[in-house]
Amino acid sequence: MNPFPAIRFVLRSALQNVVRNLGISLASLLTVTLTLLGAGGAVVVVHALDAVLHSEESQASVLKVFLADHVSLQSIVELETQLAGQRQVVRAQFESKDAAARQACHGLGLCSALNTLRSTGGGNPLPASLNLKLRNISAVTTINNEVRTSPLIFQGAHPTDYNPDVIPRLERYILIAQIAGAVLVAVIGAVALVIITISIRTAAYVRRREIEIMKLVGASEWFIRWPFIFEGMIIGIASAVVAAGILIGVEFLFGSGHALFLGIGLHFALVVIAGLLVAGALLGGFGSMVGIRRSLAV
Amino acid sequence: MGRTGQPPARPIIVFERVSKTYENGNPALEDVSFQVHPKDFLFVVGASGAGKSTMVRLLIREEVASRGHVLVDGQDLRRLRRRQLPRLRRKMGIVFQDYKLLPNLTVEQNVAFAIQVTNPGRRHLKEKVAEALYIVGLEDKLLSYPGQLSGGEQQRVAIARALVHRPRIFLADEPTGNLDPDTSWGIVQLLLQINHRGTTVLVATHNREIVDLCRQRVIAVEGGRIVRDEAQGQYLQGGTATP
Repeated sequence: MNPFPAIRFVLRSALQNVVRNLGISLASLLTVTLTLLGAGGAVVVVHALDAVLHSEESQASVLKVFLADHVSLQSIVELETQLAGQRQVVRAQFESKDAAARQACHGLGLCSALNTLRSTGGGNPLPASLNLKLRNISAVTTINNEVRTSPLIFQGAHPTDYNPDVIPRLERYILIAQIAGAVLVAVIGAVALVIITISIRTAAYVRRREIEIMKLVGASEWFIRWPFIFEGMIIGIASAVVAAGILIGVEFLFGSGHALFLGIGLHFALVVIAGLLVAGALLGGFGSMVGIRRSLAV
Repeated sequence: MGRTGQPPARPIIVFERVSKTYENGNPALEDVSFQVHPKDFLFVVGASGAGKSTMVRLLIREEVASRGHVLVDGQDLRRLRRRQLPRLRRKMGIVFQDYKLLPNLTVEQNVAFAIQVTNPGRRHLKEKVAEALYIVGLEDKLLSYPGQLSGGEQQRVAIARALVHRPRIFLADEPTGNLDPDTSWGIVQLLLQINHRGTTVLVATHNREIVDLCRQRVIAVEGGRIVRDEAQGQYLQGGTATP
């Protein structure tokens, strides 16, 4: 059997349904758009927080071990070799006193203070350091405790430098964002599902005579069902397009980047858009199946 | 023996001790048994509420018998699965008192609709629609809308739609209920003509005048029971119908 006439009939009927019930179709479109906007927005926010977490985690897993001024170069090399050989250490890199001063001068804007110190005979107060890049954040405390007792280490108020608090805090924020997003999506999703179901029931009521005749002449249930399922899917996909458009617009206007998608990345943006389209189609299709079920009772 | 002198074929419709009680407790049919053979013409007569329409609803399996068996073309409808229902209904052409036409479609589109929703890839759709409309005498009304037609013409469109996929059984539930006597007679003539083409026809009606004129087999129902079946040439006990 040639399937194209059937597909043509189903699509034409679905579009007719949308147009005939334009008011309720628009109401469905609005609620589904809100749902998808909430879901898409939550995904983007969680993704952004996740990116911040990774960035912070990457920075926080760097342990700066300050070295005492009197330590010989050979001792430093030995310590560096010893630390670099540990499983949890990805990389150990020596930073000299001069390099630390250059970093403070250009990175932190402390050039004038350093120059003043030098001119008054104070020399360079910044210690040399071994900068350890660790495999994961949990290793920071272990390595920190291990190196602090070494006689090679600068014995000031801060013999090492790392930030152990930022990760749990960020993880807490992400969890809150995920829960809030899930609740938001669940509530609006339920409302959207109800509206789609009502919309399809209305469409089925409007076309009750047509459905009755289709049943009487022997149309299969799926043949009767598909136009309504397509109608729901059309509404869902249209809503996804609107929601994606709004998200892109917001990203373009308020995002951190100068160009489209620069803030969240083109690849992730495409994943979000595809996800919205699939979610819209599924939401519309499922709502329609629920809506049409009663009308098909023989 | 059948019309042709050969042994009668297997009955195409069988009611075997069928009773039907609706969910509200109202009994519609009580212990009804009869058979219809292929190419037969049968009137089911009775007053409103006698159980005629329930018989039609059982045949198209809109309802299921509470007791007994309804068989169509050898298939027990009680055992019919829901997904098999469309196939059963494609064997039948069905018309009702209220025509059930789609007002926003032309005559041609209304008739074609029956094929489009059951067999959308079917070839020669236009020719088949034209043939069905020719049989009912409406070949010149292709582009008219139901609202532009008389009651009789609308019923003819409904008949064409029921005929277009060449059913083996034609069921008509009060097909002349909304029509004047002359038009009703025209519709019945058309049903006889369809029967002569080899289709089994069952007509449920309360119009006894037409039934008497046609001289076909008649089953009379009263209070959900068969009180007369002319094919058996006898009156049944408790019947009050006149011959």
